Amino acid sequence: MAHTERININFLPGDRQRNISILKFENKTHMKRISIFTAIAFFVFQHAVAGTIKVVTTLTDLKSITELIGGNKVAVTSIATGYQNPHFVDPKPSYIINLSGADLFVTIGLDLETGWSPQLLASSRNTKIQKGAPGYVDASENMALLQVPTAANRAEGDIHIYGNPHYWLDPLNGKVIARNIANGLERVDPADKAIFEANLATFNKTIDDKMKDWQAKMAPFKGSKIIAYHNEWVYFEKRFGLEIVDFMEPKPGIPPTPSQLVKVINEIKSNNIKVIISSPYFSTSSSDVVAKQTGVKVVTMATSTGAFPTVKTYFDVFDYDIAQITAALK
Amino acid sequence: MNLKYKSGGYFAVVLFVAIFMGSLSASAQVPADSTSKDSTVADSALLKQIEAQMQAAPAAQPTGTQTRSSLSFNPDIGVIGDFQGSYISKGEKNFDMYLNETEVSLQAAVDPYARADFFLSFGRDPVTGKYGVEVEEGYVTTLSLPAKLQLKAGKFREAVGRINPTHPHALPFIDLPNAYVNLFGEEGLNDEGVSLSWLTPNKAFYQELVFQTTAGYTESPAFVRSEGNHLVYLGHLKNFFTLTDNATLELGLTGISGPNDSARTTNVGSFDLTYKYKPVQMNTYHSLTWQSEFYYSHNNQTEDHSVDAIGLYSFIQYQLAKRTFLTGRYDYGEKPYNNSIKEQAYSLTFGWYATEFSKMEVEAKTTEDNIEPRFYQAWLRWIFVIGAHGAHQY
Repeated sequence: MAHTERININFLPGDRQRNISILKFENKTHMKRISIFTAIAFFVFQHAVAGTIKVVTTLTDLKSITELIGGNKVAVTSIATGYQNPHFVDPKPSYIINLSGADLFVTIGLDLETGWSPQLLASSRNTKIQKGAPGYVDASENMALLQVPTAANRAEGDIHIYGNPHYWLDPLNGKVIARNIANGLERVDPADKAIFEANLATFNKTIDDKMKDWQAKMAPFKGSKIIAYHNEWVYFEKRFGLEIVDFMEPKPGIPPTPSQLVKVINEIKSNNIKVIISSPYFSTSSSDVVAKQTGVKVVTMATSTGAFPTVKTYFDVFDYDIAQITAALK
Repeated sequence: MNLKYKSGGYFAVVLFVAIFMGSLSASAQVPADSTSKDSTVADSALLKQIEAQMQAAPAAQPTGTQTRSSLSFNPDIGVIGDFQGSYISKGEKNFDMYLNETEVSLQAAVDPYARADFFLSFGRDPVTGKYGVEVEEGYVTTLSLPAKLQLKAGKFREAVGRINPTHPHALPFIDLPNAYVNLFGEEGLNDEGVSLSWLTPNKAFYQELVFQTTAGYTESPAFVRSEGNHLVYLGHLKNFFTLTDNATLELGLTGISGPNDSARTTNVGSFDLTYKYKPVQMNTYHSLTWQSEFYYSHNNQTEDHSVDAIGLYSFIQYQLAKRTFLTGRYDYGEKPYNNSIKEQAYSLTFGWYATEFSKMEVEAKTTEDNIEPRFYQAWLRWIFVIGAHGAHQY
């Protein structure tokens, strides 16, 4: 209170110099306290800022894995939500705010996000996270890819020229993603390498442990024939021994046509197929038509972390999907 | 056979690494001079880092990795065809059809510091019917300026509101709004010069400030290329708000000043407002866009005579289903050189977007002004893309 009054008096002409000295004298102890407090606050603030790696990921699965590897060293945001189509994310300028201050950018890569992430990156004005920079992590590095086409032809629909990009739907590929993310974190924060490596080991062990459980649950349904809406389940299919007979889409990205529905209905009847798997961002109207005709069950699976409120981590994606599909195949 | 091939591959890798390490150690064994102590320390630190990285590397190599092929330094190349048919209720020739434009895009990073974008347009002259080529856009953009700055130089569509920066094939209607054409012409404000944009440190919402200086475009009704040293100056403030996960609002303010055909100055002020509703989960099925722009121009014709003109458009685009869109638009425009000529128009466009690479649209429009009787126009447009297709602005 006294401090405020002195400041007011200071502005009176003539008394200026005298009042400043009074102020200095009376507030010496006060100032000392303030400077100690400021120093501590500054140190804490600096430490907090220095200790947090700002990461932006394209998908929520990458966010989940980055949080598991980075622990309390990272603050992660994802551009896409877990319940939207990763091919068609709208490149809203608001995403650029986070990208402009990011230390690390993690992308699924291949050409999954080609319609939106290059534009956002180019507008971010952040050299740390551009392709080729230490802060750019392509999670598909060293990934064993499936469905790599021998020729690129758009007459085949939305094909991916580097291979099917939905690789995160095989939990073992999660380990490759985690390795790539750990490499990225270690490039931007070499001092905490030991922490990231320890978290990576824990992540890998969790995947291995859970794999036993997931495999056991899926074992009775090995070889089960199913229909999928879009060609995004090949990694899940191969890992858990399912057989996707056909897709609701006649070609990737082309909505179901009446002739395709007739074809699918016939395949369901002749193969005794029990399940159509779809994703949260596809309309179920055509699948419902097929269900009505054949009695097949339509299961909306989680394609990413956050697809449904209970799917909170990368591990939950498989817990959820395996629970859904095993229940439907019974 | 396969195994033999693989072991050969491993041998080559080991040999390469050995040669690489050899050359490293050779460079480390350069005879020491009096100042080499620090560099030796630095080298050994570097070697330790390399060794550490090489130890980490094998863990990142799962089996069955496929190599990627067809890499090249060629830019991303795309060709966009724009075929149109048109009808107009007045004049001698009522029907026409033409390949309105063929746009060739070439886009790539130049080096770690910049990227380049070229759009070459092969268009048809509406009068002679002959095809000619022009550089629609060709510019270099920096990727690495400090302080959140980005510099662009070349020929580019200028940052006036929402219509001007967008290539016409990406607009949800076939003709351009009257108010826009009255000021900037059919080709838009597309000029040669430099552009500096700054991403403000505002964390609450996206805010970008753009300054552009250009030489003056000869075909724009508002501005001409100055015979002297008079350049066109433009400032644009873009504000983008995320209202909810599903809704956004953009508010833009633009000011332009440049030489006109009376060798004096024309000043243009514009204001744009765009509301978008796109439910994140079902964004490929449903969306709504309401976009409006208001223009004001002050055209100094002589020392004591100037013309003030205004114009605006407002459209609503509604997505009916995954591939069908309906757009209704209202136009009002005055001529920047004669504000007693007033136009008003209504149009409706139906679009069928087959894929990301082709769309068909049909538009009907009625125009009335205070000079000639009401007339009607209709267009049919088929846009088709081959090769790379760059992302559009949101």
